[in-house]
Amino acid sequence: MNDNIKRESILAVANNLRWEVGDNLHDTLMESIYENATSIASKVVLYPDKKPAFSLDRTLDKILTSKYLGFPIMFLILAVVFWLTIQGANIPSGLIANLLVDTLHPALKNMANSIGFPWWLSGVLIDGAYLSMAWVISVMLPPMAIFFPIYTLLEDFGYLPRVAFNMDPLYKKVGAHGRQALTMAMGFGCNAAGVVATRVIDSPRERLIAIITNNFSLCNGRWPTQILIATIFIGGAAPAYLAGIVSAAAVVFIAVLGIVFSLLVSWGLSRTLLKGEASAFSLELPPYRPPRILQTLYTSLISRTIFVLWRAIVFAVPAGMVIWLVANINIDGVSVANHFINWSNPFAFIFGLNGIILLAYIIAIPANEIVIPTVLMLTVAKLGMMSVGAGSGVMFELDSVTDTAAILQAGGWTLLTGINLMLFSLLHNPCSTTIFTIYKETKSVKWTVISTLLPIAMGFTITFFVTQIWRLIF
Amino acid sequence: MNEPLVLLIIGIIALLILVLVFYPHKGILAIWKKSNYASKKVLIEDALKYLYNCEYNNTTCSLNGIAGNLSVSADDATDIISRLESMGLVSAKKDELSLTSDGRSYALRIIRVHRLWEKYLADETSVTEHEWHQKAEELEHTLTPEQADQLAAQIGNPVFDPHGDPIPSASGDLPIKKGRLLNEMKAGEFANIIHVEDEPNAIYSQILAQGLYPGMQIRMMEVSDKRIKFIANGEECILSPLIAKNITVGVLKFEKQIEGKFKTLSSLKIGEEGTILGIAKALRGQQRRRLMDLGIVPGTKIEAELESLTGDPVAYRVRGTTVALRKQQTEKIYLTNDEKNSYE
Repeated sequence: MNDNIKRESILAVANNLRWEVGDNLHDTLMESIYENATSIASKVVLYPDKKPAFSLDRTLDKILTSKYLGFPIMFLILAVVFWLTIQGANIPSGLIANLLVDTLHPALKNMANSIGFPWWLSGVLIDGAYLSMAWVISVMLPPMAIFFPIYTLLEDFGYLPRVAFNMDPLYKKVGAHGRQALTMAMGFGCNAAGVVATRVIDSPRERLIAIITNNFSLCNGRWPTQILIATIFIGGAAPAYLAGIVSAAAVVFIAVLGIVFSLLVSWGLSRTLLKGEASAFSLELPPYRPPRILQTLYTSLISRTIFVLWRAIVFAVPAGMVIWLVANINIDGVSVANHFINWSNPFAFIFGLNGIILLAYIIAIPANEIVIPTVLMLTVAKLGMMSVGAGSGVMFELDSVTDTAAILQAGGWTLLTGINLMLFSLLHNPCSTTIFTIYKETKSVKWTVISTLLPIAMGFTITFFVTQIWRLIF
Repeated sequence: MNEPLVLLIIGIIALLILVLVFYPHKGILAIWKKSNYASKKVLIEDALKYLYNCEYNNTTCSLNGIAGNLSVSADDATDIISRLESMGLVSAKKDELSLTSDGRSYALRIIRVHRLWEKYLADETSVTEHEWHQKAEELEHTLTPEQADQLAAQIGNPVFDPHGDPIPSASGDLPIKKGRLLNEMKAGEFANIIHVEDEPNAIYSQILAQGLYPGMQIRMMEVSDKRIKFIANGEECILSPLIAKNITVGVLKFEKQIEGKFKTLSSLKIGEEGTILGIAKALRGQQRRRLMDLGIVPGTKIEAELESLTGDPVAYRVRGTTVALRKQQTEKIYLTNDEKNSYE
């Protein structure tokens, strides 16, 4: 009993003392710990003279962040990285496609037939699941296997933090973190990897901004779509000698438009939805060091490439089945796909698109890479063109741009459809791999839904206005 | 239906409607939320809070005061008071209203939640100081006492809110009011701001506009009926006595008095070195912790190393690493003064 009273009185004194010492206590404690540690360290720790290495760092910093050289060097490096990725990926991509799509797919099909699979089972498993997986691997793997290691090497060397430092004034204006420049660049490789890369942004609000806007970086899976459509429709509308330049300019324009949107949306988010989220800026500039090439290759392959590829495959397999099924299940003699296309056509017309494009974007949600093959397959099936393609529900691509153009034009595509598809390809929901990654990273349904719906709402708004104005003028 | 012009007009109208509905603060949605908020329970709790504040500040509380504070008519205020009386929370003798002990502990519960929210908003979010009070006003009616304790534990059981008001403990204890008003100081004296009154809003905004916040060191220069002139963290400020009355000063523990001018980290030129004196109280929560984690604590040597293209951010060398900081931070980090110049 006596003890109890004692305890109560001690607690009461302690509580009163809390008012007395106020809020400064924690800071003061921490400061005195640092002070003690510093004074001990200064007595017992010896520093070997490291001046030379240190001054080399400073010289490099002076060049890489200088007024006149900083940005040119940055754009040059960026251009080289993209050139290496796009050019370098062509050959291995072709090889893998040759093996998985052109050779193994028919072989598997034959084998299934000889074992006596019913047509629907081999259709779902081989034409659906296997083919979409093969497609994703062949289009996705080579560019990622080139882009990610280069990116990681630059990171390891210490250059990327300097890019963030150079870009920070711009990102500060829109309420974001300089490191968003890096996650955006990563997004050009793959949005899912870009979302994971936002872990380097240690301030909660700026990190959310970077996650939500990453989708505006035109990813690896969308470049081929942009290039193909620009070549067919925009290049096709220009005089022949200008076609190449005009279509390249159109693609670059879309990519730059994406960057503009990501900055605008960052600005809007930091002032509205994310205004109240906590924020704390700091940007470490680590010392330069020679990159550890083998280790980098290993970690970037494992942690980034394989990780993203695996997630993409996991989503591509069921989607492949769905793609095959919608094209092959008939209700009243018409396939589910055609039902949807006919039903959504009037709606899609308002946005200058068509039902096939809408359906392709819904069922090809696992990967942007398979949107064009799906569009082609659906168009051919819809028109009943028996001579092209590989059969109902089997995605395909044609080597010749002219033949592809012929199919699309037969499907009723115009220059306006092409422009809108390019815009919609930039501004639509992230692929399911990215959506899932966003959920994993934010652990929040709210932010996942916002990052999914925001770009698609923007996409519909912009294609809508482009279409109406276009139709008024022409 | 598919006439482009018609669709274009429909589209523009739809966009306008969306803007009208969702526009922050002024949109239909925001206004609807605001009007929905003044329910009976809220009014009762706000009245209790007001009565408690009168008691704490030793002022008498009138019916008109309540009506004005809650922005309701005198009739409604009478209605609220009679309700409070019937609930046994308030006793009215003659003209004087006073809280019963039940009423007092109810009021303290609300005040506790209010101040906890203010502390939370200040430390754990980026909500600006203009909005802490208003947001807390909305949030204070939603928490149960248990949830309030959880919130307190989550933010480290704070004892003061960001305005310097003490936060009542879970058992309803409050310390005796300390300090004196800013206009009661004498020229030449040192003190720290320990409290800034956040109501009424018009006066509070003026205090904010001067950049004053609790924790600042004040060196009084001139006190007269017309103006109060002082140095707050090295910056000269002039306030009218009416506004100065809303600031309370006192002596903080563990505080070093600084004679000279406050030198900020942002004033360092590339290649110059300084020694950290401290981080201003205006950098709170995560931002403050991050800076301290980086080793930016009193006594640390720091050197400006690299400037970005626009001069913001600047990279500093501290404890063997290079860290870029933005100007809004470095303006609030103070350095020791080598030359001992004072204001006299």
